[in-house]
Amino acid sequence: MIEIEDLRKSYNGTRGLAGFTLRIEAGELCGLVGPNGAGKTTLIKILATLLRPDGGRARIAGSDVGSEARVVRSRIGYLPDVAGLYQDMRVGEFLEFFADAFLLQRDRRRGAVEKALERAGLADRRDAFVEQLSLGMKQRLVLAKTLLHQPKVLLLDEPATGLDPLARVELRELLKTLNREGVTILISSHILSDLEDICTRVALIAAGRNATDAEGHSVLLLGGAAQASVTCEIDVSGPVMDAASAAASFAGARVLGVEGSRLRLEVAGGIEQASALLQHLLGAGVIVVRFDCRGPGLEERYRRAFGAERQ
Amino acid sequence: MNPMIRKELRQRMRERRSWILPSLYLAALGGAVALAYYFQTADPFELGRRELQGAEIGVSVFFTVIFTQMAVLLLLAPVFSAGAITIEKEQRTLTGLLTSLLTPVQIWWGKFVAALLFLVLLLLCALPILSLPFAFGGVGPQDVGRAVGVTLVVLASTTAVGLYCSSFFRRSVHATAVSYAVVLALTILTFVSFMILQTRWEAARAAAGRPYTELPRHIIAPLYLNPFFPLVAVLSGEDKHRFPDWAISLLMFATLGYLAAILAWRNLRRAGEQV
Repeated sequence: MIEIEDLRKSYNGTRGLAGFTLRIEAGELCGLVGPNGAGKTTLIKILATLLRPDGGRARIAGSDVGSEARVVRSRIGYLPDVAGLYQDMRVGEFLEFFADAFLLQRDRRRGAVEKALERAGLADRRDAFVEQLSLGMKQRLVLAKTLLHQPKVLLLDEPATGLDPLARVELRELLKTLNREGVTILISSHILSDLEDICTRVALIAAGRNATDAEGHSVLLLGGAAQASVTCEIDVSGPVMDAASAAASFAGARVLGVEGSRLRLEVAGGIEQASALLQHLLGAGVIVVRFDCRGPGLEERYRRAFGAERQ
Repeated sequence: MNPMIRKELRQRMRERRSWILPSLYLAALGGAVALAYYFQTADPFELGRRELQGAEIGVSVFFTVIFTQMAVLLLLAPVFSAGAITIEKEQRTLTGLLTSLLTPVQIWWGKFVAALLFLVLLLLCALPILSLPFAFGGVGPQDVGRAVGVTLVVLASTTAVGLYCSSFFRRSVHATAVSYAVVLALTILTFVSFMILQTRWEAARAAAGRPYTELPRHIIAPLYLNPFFPLVAVLSGEDKHRFPDWAISLLMFATLGYLAAILAWRNLRRAGEQV
């Protein structure tokens, strides 16, 4: 759905993007993370047709963002980090204006505005002036506006900026719902826990290029099954050193430490190998009372990818 | 209807200045009429009262009103146009427009029509005052029509220049300042240039001992871009040229406005860099 190939962009000699490549399939919810100045906003602005790339290629649903900008605009919804609102317009007028700006036919327009008001939870605020809304309501209104023309692709640049925790939860749920409805979403955010909750993949970007983590991955798959290695905490009943020896004999397992009756191990090969390790321990007569196995969190993987660069 | 026009008009009419400005504008024109009438009839400088014809009062009042009107509207035009696009940048709403299906030309046209329509509203408000001289004579409805038409073309051009500045700068204050600088340059520099050329031409004519003739067009040329010149030219009715001075002047203003519009469209296409 989104194809980005060797995308480059500079501003008056300052590098914005220096050859970024990414492919996002239809229906995917993909995150984009990287340090400040990595090129995230530039990338999203190019995809939103606001900037023209200096080189490379970007296509959305088969249309080039440079030469077929108008077609692309009809397919995307773009939410910038700080979205402006017309404070002196009423909520209903604001949505009607953008429905017109997206050339919705009169019969479709009314339905789209009503749906947007419902979705934003602002149906009872239709006649209120935008300036009277709370920050969370304003953010919901902007998102509702972005969805008026039912875009196939959503491009979100730091959408949770300034939102309170409850509003963030609502936003996450809304994005999950949209994704279930088939909307492809690319979201840039520094709130890694949010990305971890909603994304299936996260692309790494630094200095305008694809960045890689310690294992050389430029796109991190989220979810235990996709991890290259997982860390297991195993509580055993009985001699813990015997259990450690049994674990150490399993191919790909490495004992990280022993504390009381608890073993900490790293297992290469992901969650399936961890499952095999459990079978192996049980087969060796180890009495396992707790087996907790998980991959490193996004925050940890982000730290591994960008921590050294920062230092 | 272009949704931009509807939005702009709605927002503009909600502003406090939408009723304050017409009130001040009409007060200024009313004051100008009163002053013109007073100076014509009361002889405050004791130059010697003579028998006045009603038509003289009418013409005097009419010219005072149309020049005051042009001056006030030239001051107001940048207020409406120079901030029109920069405010979208300042409020960060331009992004929403640029990523919608509105084209840069539609965005520009919405801003242009809304700014111009407000100036047209002011022109229409002033029609009763412009019609006052009918009571004295010397001025006909066709004169009012010509004056309003010329004023409209000049204002449209000034509005286009203001919108160009608005598309170029990021801040309203800069765009407005440059728009005023352009208006002042068109008014003052063109007049000063004309005066210099005329003085030198007169001196050369006197030195050569040639009889006085009508000023050649290349001497008048700087005035073609003076906002007040087409008013004078269209109302003087003395032009014997096949292509009269007022038409050349209006053509120049139309060209200036068109150029400003093309450059503003180009800037709007690249405005993604500024948001």
